[in-house]
Amino acid sequence: MLYFENIFYVSWEKYFSESTACTEVFMKLGIPKGLLYYKYHPFLNEFFTELGAEIITSGDTNRFILDEGVKYCVDEACLPIKVFHGHVASIKDKCDILLIPRIMRLRKGEFICPKFCGLPEMIAGSVRGVPEIIGDPIYATNLNELYNWAITAGRRITGNRNRIRNAFNKAVKAQRDFKNGRYEVQYNFRVALAGHPYNIYDDYVNMNVVKKLNKLGVGVITEEVVNENEIDEQIKRLFKKPFWTFARNSYGFTTYLSENKAIDGIVYISSFACGIDSIVIELIRNRIGDFPMLVLKIDEHTGEAGVDTRIEAFVDMLEGRWQK
Amino acid sequence: MKITFPHLGNVYIAAKALFDGLGIEYVIPPFSSKKSLEIGSLYSPEEICLPFKINIGNYIQSIEQGADTILITGSCGPCRFGEYCELQMNILKKLGYNLNFVVIDVPSSIGKKEFLHRIGTISGESKKTAYEKYMALYNAIKVLNLVDEIESIAHENAGYEVKSGMSKSILTKCKSEVMKCGSPAEMIEMLKEYKIKMKSIEIDKNKNPVRVAIIGEIYTIIEPFSNLYIEDKLMEYGVSSKRRLTPSWWVKNTILSPLGINSMDIKRASEEYLNMCIGGHARECVGEAVLACEEGFDGAIQIFPMGCMPEIVAKSILPTISKDKDFPIMTLVVDEMTGEAGYITRIEAFIDLLERRKENVLFRN
Repeated sequence: MLYFENIFYVSWEKYFSESTACTEVFMKLGIPKGLLYYKYHPFLNEFFTELGAEIITSGDTNRFILDEGVKYCVDEACLPIKVFHGHVASIKDKCDILLIPRIMRLRKGEFICPKFCGLPEMIAGSVRGVPEIIGDPIYATNLNELYNWAITAGRRITGNRNRIRNAFNKAVKAQRDFKNGRYEVQYNFRVALAGHPYNIYDDYVNMNVVKKLNKLGVGVITEEVVNENEIDEQIKRLFKKPFWTFARNSYGFTTYLSENKAIDGIVYISSFACGIDSIVIELIRNRIGDFPMLVLKIDEHTGEAGVDTRIEAFVDMLEGRWQK
Repeated sequence: MKITFPHLGNVYIAAKALFDGLGIEYVIPPFSSKKSLEIGSLYSPEEICLPFKINIGNYIQSIEQGADTILITGSCGPCRFGEYCELQMNILKKLGYNLNFVVIDVPSSIGKKEFLHRIGTISGESKKTAYEKYMALYNAIKVLNLVDEIESIAHENAGYEVKSGMSKSILTKCKSEVMKCGSPAEMIEMLKEYKIKMKSIEIDKNKNPVRVAIIGEIYTIIEPFSNLYIEDKLMEYGVSSKRRLTPSWWVKNTILSPLGINSMDIKRASEEYLNMCIGGHARECVGEAVLACEEGFDGAIQIFPMGCMPEIVAKSILPTISKDKDFPIMTLVVDEMTGEAGYITRIEAFIDLLERRKENVLFRN
């Protein structure tokens, strides 16, 4: 009896020691602060911190990061992709493993953009000397699909499945608790700020457009405040349902607000050569008729003075309409 | 009902066979030209890709000839092509045309019933029996396959022919003669004759010409106007070229794709560099580059319209392939502003580079 107990004891001890040894690996995980990081950073940070990785994020976008991005990325790509390349370049030497979220889907039957689907390949092809990449496809249509990704990605950090499950649950909770979006009604005028989240929340790329608008007495409303059903209602008016999640959001939210007179105008931040924006802007324009809309094109050459002038002119126009 | 459709390489020949067989009136738009592109760029959104603009030009030119129904295919991939129909409908409506749009979309997105309904709006016009309709479709696909085959033989032979310019002249003659035929059966007969003619051109197998693969975005490589007739130019230079993506390939690929057995060779070849479909034909582009290298081509030319999302991903992967396999790949980006002189210079420089790599500079005599 004693003998068996002994074996039992030893084997358990072995198990524990192994599992702790496995999780104690001190791994430095790099997460570039670009693209949908602005929307999903609570999930990513919480998940990988709980798994025991040390997280290294690149800083906010700045001139250096932008220049690096332009240097590494293919010329034809859009600004956010170039900025993402810059973020990768700025942390590639500081981490052991790099997370490049290959987000395929956020809703059933919809996509983000082809460049997201091939992002890890783009990075590996363009930026020299990148460490190992976690680039498993993310189908975040429901929790089960997302959990499948969590398992494959989490295995690269730890072998402990329980730990992955706990981390996943905590991360989902963190993401749910995270509220972003702007709803500023205390100003004289209100505009819908539309566009991809990474253009709206990256203040370097959009040159602080929110601050600029606020200074001129214009409040900003973003897509997060309109609920999904209203967006679906708007989408039904189209001949064909858009198959890009952010196209759907931008279209549904701007047309809903303009139809209900909740806003005085629309400001659309669009990156140059963005395939999705080239379509959505036209769809919105067709729908809203002569409702005021300002499209701010941004690329790596955009000058701040020109943007200021355009915003000021737009606000002047809003005031003019109001006085009528 | 007078049906029209946008140009895509040799599709107009197959469309003639199809609508002749069905007995439906149709208008073949004038060949894409500077004029159609001008019309297209005038009415299209500024940042949209080149195929969209040429399509709009095609529509308006055939509407001027009396067309009132437009037939296009759709897609639900992440590429912009799937959204074409909605924007094009809006644009033409704004211009005041009263048109019918028939969008043949994948059944999985619009539902089987709607899919059959849309097909029905076309086939319902025809007074033929169901068997004749089926035969019309069968013949059209046969015509498409034959034309594409003749074309690919011509492109391949251009580097080997003894009397230079033979294959090009036969190809041009074939395309113009076949359009004069009255019935689909006649067209098939004539194409078969031309295929034999094309195969019997005197060739010199000892020649060692430069061989180039044309890869990239499907519309810009198939529609000759959009790539400024690159294949004709290569034929004139005595370069043997090959393009895998053809309208007949597209038909076959679309039919086989629900079963997952479409273009197995391309899938295998692209495995190492891009192992999933990311929309458009990026995966095909990457796979073809690898295949071209394996098949002993001297180089590849990638062509895509400005701003094409999937091809940008492919473009960033191609340098890795080029380096791994020591295989030259050149990328040409086309849009409505592309100047022909600069374009030709780049092609010639690339061909020169390939010749020097072969250490066979004077092969052209």
